[in-house]
Amino acid sequence: MKFVGYGAVVLGLLMVSAPLMAHHGTGVAYEVDKLVTVKGTVTDWLWSNPHCGLLFDVTDDKGNVEHWGAELGNPHQMSGAGFARNTFKPGDKITVTGHPAKSGAPRMTLDHLVLADGKVLSGKGVKGNGERDDSTY
Amino acid sequence: MRKHSLNSLSIVVSLVAFSGATFAQTYGTKGYAPGAWKPEELPKELSAPKPFNPHDLSGVWSMPTKANFERHSLNDKRLNIQDKSLPGEMRAQSFPPPMTAWGKAKFEATEPSYGPRSVPPGLGNDLVSTCEPLGYPRDLWEANLRPFEFVQVSDRVLQHMQYHDLWRTIWTDGRALPKDPDPAWNGYSIGHWDRDTFVVESTGYDDRTWLDHFGDPHSDQMMLVEHYKRLDADTLQLDMTLTDPKTYTAPWVADTIAFERVKVAIFEEICAPSEENRFNDRVRDAAVGKSKP
Repeated sequence: MKFVGYGAVVLGLLMVSAPLMAHHGTGVAYEVDKLVTVKGTVTDWLWSNPHCGLLFDVTDDKGNVEHWGAELGNPHQMSGAGFARNTFKPGDKITVTGHPAKSGAPRMTLDHLVLADGKVLSGKGVKGNGERDDSTY
Repeated sequence: MRKHSLNSLSIVVSLVAFSGATFAQTYGTKGYAPGAWKPEELPKELSAPKPFNPHDLSGVWSMPTKANFERHSLNDKRLNIQDKSLPGEMRAQSFPPPMTAWGKAKFEATEPSYGPRSVPPGLGNDLVSTCEPLGYPRDLWEANLRPFEFVQVSDRVLQHMQYHDLWRTIWTDGRALPKDPDPAWNGYSIGHWDRDTFVVESTGYDDRTWLDHFGDPHSDQMMLVEHYKRLDADTLQLDMTLTDPKTYTAPWVADTIAFERVKVAIFEEICAPSEENRFNDRVRDAAVGKSKP
């Protein structure tokens, strides 16, 4: 795998963990058997119930900007996974891996991400809504 | 190169296993942490069955993850989880009792975001997508993901659901169920003890809610009878029967559930409409093609 600037997209196959299935609508909206990794710059961080959302821009080699978004679990659940309301601020550089939207839109449900300092935060295996693990659900 | 590939495979397998194992530990599937003593290794006085009061339901309870992970309705056998050709959420098969014409029409109008008839969230009419009340018993199935607790006071038993911070009141003061009640999201419930079994009868449910996330309907004539019984200090058994002649041509008998006592706290998990709407606007609607990114 290799990245090309901030715009490269890498697809991989991975068995999906059971908790992911619990999030409502995950299986019908996202490719639960695929992972995509993108590098981007944070534009907004939604710390909200019952879902958190991470918005970030991904720029390809030609300078084209794509507005991405990632779906996460609820704040309490994400707190258990090491996230906080001030984990991100606009301009932060991140590398994000998640299950891409079936529609082809630049959206994903988060698997894990890497911060600029190398710290890894995972959205999997944390309790809450099953999403249990957001799961939801 | 081969060694590198094996290492990569090991990491992938470990990650997959870890995600499930972490959840299982959290929700008390009786796994043992590394270094913990197993029951057979404990002194006899410590491994003996713990005493319990069969008339005390208080505590936090959860469905065993391993057995019921995808359970979200009255019957486990609805789920054809062995069919690996289907994605996990699509393996659900819906086999409720035969529906009446009214029930069938209502069922066909539902557009859930789970199961074989699922549509992407935002494009359907699942109440969960907009933080509407889910109603009972759908709220209970959330216990496969989130715990609930029973709180007993002198004239009531309160069933506290984590999702939506819902408090269901089960009156135990001898009152009867209301006749021709105005529909309520969580119905009207009364309970009494039949020896060691807590029997709950409830009715008056608002028919806008569904029984489960598959879109199975009910009417405002639905009557639920639940039998809760503590089998031991850490196990609470539930049998439920649904009777709704307006919707189903026969009673719907749920599979027995054995809830486990879990040592976790109920935390705030409110579905806030304004926050969920913002999340939908900014993230999810674009994922399903409802809006532009």
